[in-house]
Amino acid sequence: MNRGRTVGILVMVAVLVALHFSLRPILDWRAGVDFLTIAVLVAAVRVRPGMAALIGFAVGLVADALAPESLGAGALAMTLVGFSASRLKAAFFADNVAINAVFVFVGKVAFDWIFLLAERRLTGGALVSQLLLWTPLAAALTALTGLLVMAVMRPTLERRRP
Amino acid sequence: MPRGARTDSRADTAIAAACALVALVLLILPDGPRDRTAGAIRGTVVAPLAALQQRAGLARRAFTSHDSLVAIADSVVRRSQQLDEVTAENERLRALLGLGKALRWGFVPAEALVGRGLGEEHTLVLSAGSRAGVRPLSAVVAAEGLVGMVRHVDAGTSVAITWPHPDFRVSATTPDGSAFGIVSAHQGEGAEGFLLELRGVPFRSRIPVGTAVVSSGLGGVYPRGIPIGTVVQVLRTNAGWERTYLLRPAVRPPDVTAVLVLSPDRTTDGVESTWLPGRDSVLARQP
Repeated sequence: MNRGRTVGILVMVAVLVALHFSLRPILDWRAGVDFLTIAVLVAAVRVRPGMAALIGFAVGLVADALAPESLGAGALAMTLVGFSASRLKAAFFADNVAINAVFVFVGKVAFDWIFLLAERRLTGGALVSQLLLWTPLAAALTALTGLLVMAVMRPTLERRRP
Repeated sequence: MPRGARTDSRADTAIAAACALVALVLLILPDGPRDRTAGAIRGTVVAPLAALQQRAGLARRAFTSHDSLVAIADSVVRRSQQLDEVTAENERLRALLGLGKALRWGFVPAEALVGRGLGEEHTLVLSAGSRAGVRPLSAVVAAEGLVGMVRHVDAGTSVAITWPHPDFRVSATTPDGSAFGIVSAHQGEGAEGFLLELRGVPFRSRIPVGTAVVSSGLGGVYPRGIPIGTVVQVLRTNAGWERTYLLRPAVRPPDVTAVLVLSPDRTTDGVESTWLPGRDSVLARQP
């Protein structure tokens, strides 16, 4: 991976992280768009699994720092999602809009499931409704937004590929 | 799988496992160390993001509460405007109370309703009528000076014309009696329609700008000494034998809400000391 592409990926991750902490609080939807998951997934398919895990860990830790009670849960979930996405990219990731959307959707669902089960804050009906209702809704929105981000970022990232 | 690729794969797995392990350690940390760790991260690399999130939250709150804030601001503005009106009316009523004390007797207090309809803009409907002692051709005064004259009287109410009325006339003089004339409404356009004219002043009697003009007591309707207005400028000079002056009125009819109607006996007795500066003046007697 050349330096230009690395810089491009870092800029993209930084922009998405900034959007997560600026646009998301303004929208304040119950099923909000998860820009952090998009950032980790879009970066993961362009780097090695180890690097994807590191990026996921760092991004998850940033999110955890603002919610100290679940410190570590986000980092764990993002690490696993980033590593898995990078491992599976050869099998699933392609220039197909529908597959990309499913990729982001599954990534977000996986993140939420790991996060919620790891932090152990929600239990009973609240956990079930979150996992079966709000998580899929948020994942769908995140998938749509992810497609948009990929469409915008792809020309920049693909041009730098050697 | 080539050997190099297998080594890379193991390294990747090791990195991922290390990250997951650190995350798990963070997850099971006791409250104290966990909060300190989170605080350290928040205070360094995450500080700009925390500030960004805080500002975004404030922006959202400002956006969602905009309508209610505008409504509150409107209410405050409206109340402050009403407060100004109430304060002004309070001052006028206090001045009127002072006038009542200065006059002592021979007047009927009344509330005044300024006519808003076509042809009613120069009349006042007064809340006192013949039962209270109001008689036609009685002078209507406020604390600031002359308002007008009662034209029609019913049992419970009466109607007065104010000085902008085309039929209004009052014999006037300067306080020192050096010049006499007849005051009527100035028939000007726009804002000039709210000024007065002092006509028929002998050519030899020059009145400086700023001189007060009061009723002269001639004619029997208005007693001597009620303030009418202040000289603003010479309006015209007719053929070298009389001057006409433009006056700024002492009373603005739209502001009038309460008045005193002078009785004929009081008119005969005179009110000259009431508005003069000094111990017996209206200002000196305000409560």
